Amino acid sequence: LRVTDRIIFERGTTDIAASRERAESAQRVASTGLRVEAPGDDPAAAGTLAAAPVAEARFRAIGAAASAASDELQAADGALSQIGSSLARARELATQFSSSTYDATGRAGAAAEVDSLLRDVVGQLNTRVGGRYLFSGTADAQKPFDPNTLAFSGSTQQRTVEVAPGVFQPASVAADVAIKGTAGGVDVLATLSQLRDALATGTAATVQSTIGALATSVEQVTAARVQAGVSMNALGAAVTASSTAADSVKSRASHLSDADIVSAATELAFSQTALQASMAATAQGFKLSLVDYLR
Amino acid sequence: MADLLSVLSGAQSSLAAQRALQATASHNIENANTPGYARQRAEIVTVAPGEMVRGSYVGGGAMVGAITQARDRFLEAQVPQALGAAASSTAESDALSAVHALDPGAAGGLGSALGAFYSGLRAMAQDPTNPSLRAAALGAAQALARSFQGTRGALEDARFGLDQQIAGAAAEATTEAAAVADLNGQIRAARVGGAVPNDLLDLRQTHLDKLAELTGASFVATSDGDVNVALAGGAALVSGTSAGALSAAADPANGGHLALQLTPPGGRASALGVAPGGQLGGALAARDGAIGSAVSSLDGLAANLAGQLNQAHQSGTTPGGAAGGPLFTVSGASGAAASIAVAISDPSQLATVSAPAGAFSNNAQALVATEDALLGGPPGATAEATLSAITSGFGASAERAKSMSDQDAALRDHLSTLRDSVSGVSIDDEMIQMQQAQRGYEAITKVIQVADAMMDTLMKLR
Repeated sequence: LRVTDRIIFERGTTDIAASRERAESAQRVASTGLRVEAPGDDPAAAGTLAAAPVAEARFRAIGAAASAASDELQAADGALSQIGSSLARARELATQFSSSTYDATGRAGAAAEVDSLLRDVVGQLNTRVGGRYLFSGTADAQKPFDPNTLAFSGSTQQRTVEVAPGVFQPASVAADVAIKGTAGGVDVLATLSQLRDALATGTAATVQSTIGALATSVEQVTAARVQAGVSMNALGAAVTASSTAADSVKSRASHLSDADIVSAATELAFSQTALQASMAATAQGFKLSLVDYLR
Repeated sequence: MADLLSVLSGAQSSLAAQRALQATASHNIENANTPGYARQRAEIVTVAPGEMVRGSYVGGGAMVGAITQARDRFLEAQVPQALGAAASSTAESDALSAVHALDPGAAGGLGSALGAFYSGLRAMAQDPTNPSLRAAALGAAQALARSFQGTRGALEDARFGLDQQIAGAAAEATTEAAAVADLNGQIRAARVGGAVPNDLLDLRQTHLDKLAELTGASFVATSDGDVNVALAGGAALVSGTSAGALSAAADPANGGHLALQLTPPGGRASALGVAPGGQLGGALAARDGAIGSAVSSLDGLAANLAGQLNQAHQSGTTPGGAAGGPLFTVSGASGAAASIAVAISDPSQLATVSAPAGAFSNNAQALVATEDALLGGPPGATAEATLSAITSGFGASAERAKSMSDQDAALRDHLSTLRDSVSGVSIDDEMIQMQQAQRGYEAITKVIQVADAMMDTLMKLR
């Protein structure tokens, strides 16, 4: 190859530009710590990275929703616990005043206590958390139990919450079943009401007739608590699983996008050395000319 | 017998030849950095003997034969195509690498907005009557619409930026074509005397190279010494001394982006049937190829996602009992990502209540379920998968263009180096040439000196 001056200068320009581009690229990777900045850097990785925020947000949101639902179930469980205590006390009173030992005056005093228990139970059933009723099913804004008529006006549809993509878990207590006994049980509030009335105006025998229903009421509430516990466990597992999944998505994205620090530092050092060598070699090439030797 | 006057005459001619050598070397050195310049050589030939002495011819010295150029036609025929290909892939690669709207880590990117939108819906699905969560979900929907608009806007800005480049390159190509036609005329006139106008040929080659870079045009030399220029598909841009013109006009069928028109020499303007090469071709490929495809895919994603969400939203009712309306509005599939907007402004209008017999405990869950809905197009193309495909598809195009650019640039540089190796000026060569001419000149002056002394001796005979 016949080497002309233009070839020397243009090759110098091209080679130095290429070395400088490589050094700049290495410097950018080393300073940002990112291997993939633009889609063209690694198309397959970029596609995954573009969708990673969606996947990560999905799992974080599932975890947050499950956590919030679990908190609500915790509150519902607390209310059911109180209701269970009230029912236990009512059964205790029923057992005590079903004996002919007590006269009408004694039973009237117990009736007042049962009335108070009934009000407490209705109050617990109308508990609101964050502005919505815990025992109204999907009718969040609807007060589920009328304190006067004791009628249930909530929704019989249970709330559900997503515990994994596309998988839903019940996240509320079915008050129509647990309290109103619509699945073949007893009406807890009606039973308490009957006990109160029997104590106020009935006889020891009428008081005694409520004991069976009271026992069933306690069982119903206990069963509801068990169901709530199962749901809370499932929601707790969902919180953990979704957090793990979100972390996994983030970790994978980081693995795809982040540069290996050692490789980046090595490439930076190498490219800078190559640039210096390219400059030195080009400068040496410029020095050689016959003009300098002809006098 | 050779007379002394013939010797002096021959020396005079030879001196002129050495001066021509010197002048040509000087011209070469002076044009060493002139783009497109091909080094010249003064060819010195022996003066035909005009005198016979005792049956033998006596030489008459040297004279300048011709000034020729060092050119390799085989190499030069390959260079324009290499220039056009390199300019095309470089223009496409540069354009695609300048687009950052689809960068995975871009702030306010579509991936983040889509993730935040569905997070907002999920939070609302857990507690659909919570006013704060409803407002947050609506805000996330508005942010998603803005992200669609922003991403598409950035891509369209890049396309309009390329329109400016296309218009500028078309105007430049028209100027270059006119220069080639003008030089065809000048070269034709200069050849009338039989001489070869080397410097005009160089200048025309420079303009042809530029035309190749701009349009990827091909060139055909005629027997008249003209060079005709044809664009891809054979459309004439330069014919002899007549030049056509390239122009750009808005194309309503392509969103108002510029389309190229060619006015051939002596003809009327019409749409360019075949896409050109060179810088214009690269810019068009980037604009209507990878970037245009990303815009279309983004429109498809926006339209299909809005359709799915609207269907789910309209199947529910608001907490106030009103039937759910559309959640998003889009003005048709084309331009959907630019026109997408949230149809409601009051969080209470979010249709989060579903029919009691429905599959979900509230309609917000139905909205959430659209995240896994197939949006049409490729199998398994959920919104997330479609976004991933748009990004990786664009990235693959950018990577291919960069690879092609590197490859084409290497070939262009290789051929340019080979062309320079043949036609370029070496200062060392020219310095030696000048030394050679100087030595020759000095020697010939000695011949004159000796002939003069001999003449003097002869004149002094008594």
